[in-house]
Amino acid sequence: MSKLCSMSEAVSSIKPGAHISLPGFAITRCAMAFAHELIRQQIKGLTLSQCVGAMDADLLVGAGLVNKVIYGGGSLDRFGRLANINRGIENGTLAADEYSSLSVAFRYLAGALGLPFIPIRSLMGSDLLNQLKNKESEDIASVDDPFTGKDWLVLKPLIPDVAVMHVQISDDEGNAVILGPKWDNCEQVKASERTIIIAEHIVSTEIIRQNPESTCIPGLFVSHVVEQPFGAYPTSVYREYDYDSDHMKLYVESSCSEEKFAQYLQEYVFTCKDHWQFLDKIGSQILSTLHADSLKGY
Amino acid sequence: MVIDYSPNELMAVAGARELRDSQVVAVGLGLPVVASFLAKKTHAPNMTILFELGVIDPEPVDCGVGLADPRVWYRAKVLSSFVDILGSVLHRGRVDVGFLGGLESDEYGNLNTTLLGDPKGQFKHMVGSGGANDIASNAKSTIIIMRHEARKLRKTISFITSPGYLHGNDSRKQAGLCGGPSRVITDKAIFGFDPDSKKIVLLSIHPGNTLEDVVNTMDFEPIIPEKIPFTEPPSAEQLQIIREEIDPGKMYLG
Repeated sequence: MSKLCSMSEAVSSIKPGAHISLPGFAITRCAMAFAHELIRQQIKGLTLSQCVGAMDADLLVGAGLVNKVIYGGGSLDRFGRLANINRGIENGTLAADEYSSLSVAFRYLAGALGLPFIPIRSLMGSDLLNQLKNKESEDIASVDDPFTGKDWLVLKPLIPDVAVMHVQISDDEGNAVILGPKWDNCEQVKASERTIIIAEHIVSTEIIRQNPESTCIPGLFVSHVVEQPFGAYPTSVYREYDYDSDHMKLYVESSCSEEKFAQYLQEYVFTCKDHWQFLDKIGSQILSTLHADSLKGY
Repeated sequence: MVIDYSPNELMAVAGARELRDSQVVAVGLGLPVVASFLAKKTHAPNMTILFELGVIDPEPVDCGVGLADPRVWYRAKVLSSFVDILGSVLHRGRVDVGFLGGLESDEYGNLNTTLLGDPKGQFKHMVGSGGANDIASNAKSTIIIMRHEARKLRKTISFITSPGYLHGNDSRKQAGLCGGPSRVITDKAIFGFDPDSKKIVLLSIHPGNTLEDVVNTMDFEPIIPEKIPFTEPPSAEQLQIIREEIDPGKMYLG
């Protein structure tokens, strides 16, 4: 069954207050087109989760749509900090449950496997754990190993309402292929109640059937499929396009204050009716310089 | 013959020298990347290099802006996931050395990359853990590379993101952790840790620095043995590999 729809339709399936897990890692494969549309539709009160905080989460926080983040820290790599997220944490307007990469990945994994909890050897002795204890987090506990009697830190499964995945290739049922490292994406999909696929390219199911071992997201997890070339711009998509350093720098500069960021949102999100208009504003000349080299993948 | 080199280049070389052939090394951002590639290109060709997001043994030819940059995944043998790398390799106990950059460290090798200032009052939130806490908690040993300044080598840090020896003695073991930091490499010196108290010990001083240069730019007193050698300078071959092959754009060592 085809689940193809417009970005606006897919985004309008998100309820205010939903918990969304996002696909980005710092400056790569971020759900930018999806985030822009969420902002245009002003769907608020969101909880966001991902192993490593990325530009998609920072943008949504900066737009005031987010109440809480669950993440393992993050940055825009050498471009800068996640300034909107950091500012929200510093001034107390954003709740943050902060873990390590693996502990968030393990929470998704427990959710994916339907386990009641998952033991982990990270976090112990750290202030990440103390901070969670101090706020009486109900997502951490300890149990005795029934086989050895050893005391274990255990984490509660993380089950987002919806995973949003930016992928290179999908068919119209949402059988999707992610090229390059997948970080926490497969566990996010399997832990979440449902998944929205944003694909650079839609291919026929016949193509998927010819290389089924490449399918890392089975369509059975997927509720909506959207085709959006350059949908992760200005972040990079392996084997598709590079990040746009100039726009990343502009974003970092804009995110250093709330006033400047409001101007950024006005210019690049609110005045564009969809992602195509945003891409028009960037210009085809710039976009064409970002195309990945087919040998190197970037 | 006197060879000119920068403190950053010496740090990378000193880091590379700590790595052995056939080790499995989980590598954090920045200088650890240069040090690990240098070791693999010289004395440790059978070493395995891991990046937390799912990358094994890449051979980059262009400098990236960070681990998320496809430039640093180029020619990898494996591109997979957090659960594969930090789970099946690291958490399973298969990482010999975790190689981390630090923003702030205390005298027990605890690292802070989360916040600067007072967590209950005014503070600045930073990058946080990423995989650093996982690596510091689960690797058989860790090597820390960081700047040598009093505001970075602090008596007390405001947040323990990645555990070293916590409060010294057996407190790391008490918290349920094995392993722990083996070296701290700065731009002035190399440190180890006392086997009992787990306090930081000065092991060698980089050429061009005095003992005063080292201790006066720290916020705590390291254990100072009677004899302290100078750190061996980089060889011409090591410098050539760094400058021509690993970091020609001076992205890491600029």
